[in-house]
Amino acid sequence: MSLERNIAPQFHKVKDLHFPEYQKIEIKTGIDLYAIKAGTEPVIRLDLVFNAGLTRQLKKAESSFTAQMLSEGTSKKTASALADALDFYGAYFQTRSNADDAIASLYCLEKHLKSCLPIFIEALVDSIFPPKELDIIRKNSIQKLLVNEKKNNYLCRKVFYQKLLGAHHPYAGFSEKADLENLNLDDLKSFYKTNYLSGLKFLILSGNFSEITLGYIHESIKTCLLQNSIEPRGGAAISTILGKHFVEKNDSVQSAIRIGKLSIERAHPDYRKLQLLNLIFGGYFGSRLMKNIREDKGLTYGIYSVLESFQQTSVWYIETEINTKNREQGLTEIYKELAAIRNEPIGAHELEVAKNYMLGSFLRSLDGPFSLADRLKIIIDFGLSKDYYAEFVHIINSMSPEALMAISNKYFSAENIVEVLVGKK
Amino acid sequence: MINYTKFTLENGLTVIHHADDSTQLCVLNLLYKVGSRDENPDKTGFAHLFEHLMFGGSKNIEEFDTELQTAGGESNAFTSNDITNYYITLPANNIETGFWLESDRMLSLDINQKSLDVQKNVVIEEFKERYLNQPYGDVWLKILPLAYKVHPYNWATIGKNITHIENFELNEVKSFFENYYSPNNAILVVAGNIPLETCKVFCEKWFGSIEKKDTKHSNYQQEPRQMEPRSEHVYNDVPLDLLVKAYHMGGRMDSDYYVCDLLSDILGSGKSARFFNKLVKEKRLFSELDTYISGDADPGLFLIEGKLMKGISFETAENAIKEELEYLKTHLIGETELTKVQNKTETNVRFGDVNVLNRAMKLAFAEFLGNIELVNTEIDEYLKVTPALLQDIAKNMFVENNCSTLYYHAKV
Repeated sequence: MSLERNIAPQFHKVKDLHFPEYQKIEIKTGIDLYAIKAGTEPVIRLDLVFNAGLTRQLKKAESSFTAQMLSEGTSKKTASALADALDFYGAYFQTRSNADDAIASLYCLEKHLKSCLPIFIEALVDSIFPPKELDIIRKNSIQKLLVNEKKNNYLCRKVFYQKLLGAHHPYAGFSEKADLENLNLDDLKSFYKTNYLSGLKFLILSGNFSEITLGYIHESIKTCLLQNSIEPRGGAAISTILGKHFVEKNDSVQSAIRIGKLSIERAHPDYRKLQLLNLIFGGYFGSRLMKNIREDKGLTYGIYSVLESFQQTSVWYIETEINTKNREQGLTEIYKELAAIRNEPIGAHELEVAKNYMLGSFLRSLDGPFSLADRLKIIIDFGLSKDYYAEFVHIINSMSPEALMAISNKYFSAENIVEVLVGKK
Repeated sequence: MINYTKFTLENGLTVIHHADDSTQLCVLNLLYKVGSRDENPDKTGFAHLFEHLMFGGSKNIEEFDTELQTAGGESNAFTSNDITNYYITLPANNIETGFWLESDRMLSLDINQKSLDVQKNVVIEEFKERYLNQPYGDVWLKILPLAYKVHPYNWATIGKNITHIENFELNEVKSFFENYYSPNNAILVVAGNIPLETCKVFCEKWFGSIEKKDTKHSNYQQEPRQMEPRSEHVYNDVPLDLLVKAYHMGGRMDSDYYVCDLLSDILGSGKSARFFNKLVKEKRLFSELDTYISGDADPGLFLIEGKLMKGISFETAENAIKEELEYLKTHLIGETELTKVQNKTETNVRFGDVNVLNRAMKLAFAEFLGNIELVNTEIDEYLKVTPALLQDIAKNMFVENNCSTLYYHAKV
């Protein structure tokens, strides 16, 4: 029998999304340790999530500078002694500051954990902020900022958030050179004291660890100085400047474009439906934006739409970089696609492909310890149910073209849009 | 330990099976032994453009991506100097869809003028987005022709310039496919939650009937030993001066590869590295200073790349780098420092192996290099390195006659 290559092999739909079991252990008042065991390699990642993001800043750049300064010395170890001690065991100590939190992570082989964890904790509880190290970080950050300000996509992102949320909104807290120059040690020490020493929200341990390792981490955190006793702060006011905004950059061959609006929070009943709609519109390689503007017209290397959720609000936007001479055509096509998804029901086949792809992509994102830890963090951050992912299957499968059209008319309307363009006039 | 079984189909396709029942996924990684080093110097960027065309549909399948997405899968690809690598991830019970799709585009591609024209435009926009419209984006385009005078590593995979991409014609696409995209010029890795027997059945069913081709690789010359210092000055609208020094080193299978990799860690990896402590923190000459190796199959490059602090001259900055390299040549590295970078390497290997797709790519590339066991033995090669070996290699490599230097000036 010859092979019928024009007929696709039978395939199975993803029927359930199973989020594996994890432990939740209360370590001390207000601080839980979540432990998710997966994978076969003898590696672990420990994330400490602090209430120390942009929303806690009193001055710009405090959050990112404090995060960077955590590894720069304790009362017992200089910055280079700290680095030497952890590097010797091949461990990585990473800190990053986000909009709503800051995360300090330790990556190491399980066999080295007992050597690494005390150093990691020492850095977090006994950071002394040496002036010399601040000076280095300050000057290097200014150099980095100068390079970023030459990038159209950086400028576009910055102006977009400033126009959509207001220049003073914490999520639009992009630093200027003067902010970096003016930040002083006292600002950072006070930020550290309030938001790190008293601001540990929770921990996530992921990887292939033993019960002994888990117990050791539990004990070490329990006896350390970190607390969760921070006073909550109210949400920031949003003030949007709607319409088109242009930033001139005459030396560029391409223009960066960002078009978007405020959207619904993650806990909203429509949120997961909107995720499916966004996928169809611009969320994957088979999306309408990608098919039309890249694969049919060749106007760009990439174009996406993104639904981004913060604790205080959500933002939905389209982003791309397009050749200056094709810019107007690109913009026309984007708005055409936006009108089309509101005005015509999505075809049955297109919807079927998107549903199957989306469920497959969830299956991929639930694979492996670190990817699972990232998903778990979303569940914790937004106070979602443990069945959040399992429910997706039902929600996605229940969506009809008509139901999605109602969603697009609600959330993809032509009103309240902010458009930012950075490039040649 | 990465377990695998290797077998070859009659048409010459090498297959590597790697079972992992802890995942719900399955991966197909198909490596074709063709990269930008196989290109004609007057027609560069072709292997990469071709990679884009592979997603444009094949003889029996109109839309590659749509069919894959329908089965819940995702795919992508990359082109390097040496290889073109395609990969698909699917829910494990749908992996046959991957076999169907990959085998059909190996069998016969369906390329028309429109998809060629569109993908040329997409790649030209990629060229602009990554290399022209970014500060320092063209560093790689400048340093390669300086370091390589004869070998095809002289140009980047994206191509020498946009004109080369604009000029490709449909008949060239077809002959490229006929020559390089053959089962006997490819390595297929099937990894994840799939038993060996199923893997064998699917390989035979979908790839078994594809005919062998008479693949001819281009006969390029190896780079002769560099005998003089080389340098170039570039002036551009960037905020900071950038210094790049590129030294020739061995190829991926040469014994000095592991030594150079560790040297690069000793100098430039992390906050305990020498460059960071001496030149970034202590002397305040650079705001960033990185070292890395190109990792190519043929002899590659050891690169040092740093942004100068405002007000520091190229001369001061470069002399300080040379001083550190001199110190490396004249003072043996201590055991503690060596153990540190070996431990770092072990961490990197273990973390890399967490992901099944990474393991699949690693298997394919090791087989391409000619020793699949490398996936398991490579760590031992790093552990074998001694302080004396590090010093020897540093002495031979870090000499100005072996170096190309790029001075990238910020226009005032």
